[in-house]
Amino acid sequence: MGTFHDTRDPLHGITVAAVSGDTVYIGRCHERTPESVVLVDVDEHSEGQDGRTNAEYLQRAARFGAWKRHDRLALETASLSRLAPLKDFYDTGNGAVEAAGLPPVPAPEVGAEAVDDAAAATEPVTLTSAAEAEVARLLEQEGKPDHGLRLGVAGGGCSGLVYNLEFTPRREGDLVLDRDGFSIFLDPKSVIYLRGVRLEFEQGLGGKGFRFNNPNASNTCGCGESFTV
Amino acid sequence: MPYPEQMVAPMRAELTTSGVQELRTPGEVDAFFRTDNDLSLLLVNSVCGCAAGSARPAVLLSMEHPSRPARFATVFAGQDLEATARARELMGDVPPSSPSVAVFRAGELVHFMPRHLIEGRGPEEIARDLTSAFDQLGRDGRPA
Repeated sequence: MGTFHDTRDPLHGITVAAVSGDTVYIGRCHERTPESVVLVDVDEHSEGQDGRTNAEYLQRAARFGAWKRHDRLALETASLSRLAPLKDFYDTGNGAVEAAGLPPVPAPEVGAEAVDDAAAATEPVTLTSAAEAEVARLLEQEGKPDHGLRLGVAGGGCSGLVYNLEFTPRREGDLVLDRDGFSIFLDPKSVIYLRGVRLEFEQGLGGKGFRFNNPNASNTCGCGESFTV
Repeated sequence: MPYPEQMVAPMRAELTTSGVQELRTPGEVDAFFRTDNDLSLLLVNSVCGCAAGSARPAVLLSMEHPSRPARFATVFAGQDLEATARARELMGDVPPSSPSVAVFRAGELVHFMPRHLIEGRGPEEIARDLTSAFDQLGRDGRPA
């Protein structure tokens, strides 16, 4: 079974063990680049700490999990001698921490673009110019003048909440943001989760589509489709 | 921060409509384990779609197994905080993990499946691990 999203880093959202020098880190892999590996909900253990070797620590962690000492840690990719799903240590039944290399870092995304910082400071949701153009094009194609872009959230997805994006008429109680040629409708119950979100439209090698960028998400899927706050 | 109830209601209903007892308070947790001398399974539910989205159907699949535990219950991490905290107290020094699956006998933890053995796997695969544990626990009574 594919892990979370077939087009993303297979380690995204997976609890991993990362070995750097004589220290083992266990946490959920959030993001990987050639420079760093970002883990969330992280424990760390150094050789001999609490009277246990790293192998003993890993054996127990593989069976029962690890305690969280840090919300988030960024490790230098170059410092790591091993990075693997913690489950692998359960499968092998031992905590051997010898260098076994690192899985390849996924290629960087293409198509990201800047957004108007002034708008970002005043409005709960912003759109990149490419996203605005695509929404306008799709709404025109839809041919329903009373429809606008509705953004909201619902339960589900990899990280707890997923974004909704649809074209609908305005509903009672909506927060309305006017754009050039169309309106954005926000369900008031969703606004708290959408604050700071930037809607982007990408045209990359992996295809084109809308992508939500949420700087406030504490734990976001690599695809940006779902998030935790 | 707990999520709005209307967002998590379907995640509760997926279990409760299939016979899994939801424990919403510490008292309900205590009552569930106090009366139990057979195997009992407790799913620590969560909103995480990738892991809990597979854990829930996996537990439901495991309920069809011949050597299944006598009773199935669930607490919702991040939502029913006090009930979850009480359930975790009963797990001893096992680190908090959600979703996770714990099997108890006479109130004692005899098998534990933490999140990292759930995430990224399909319900059938997870259910297979659970039913293997049920078989072993039923066969020799030792922790699996």
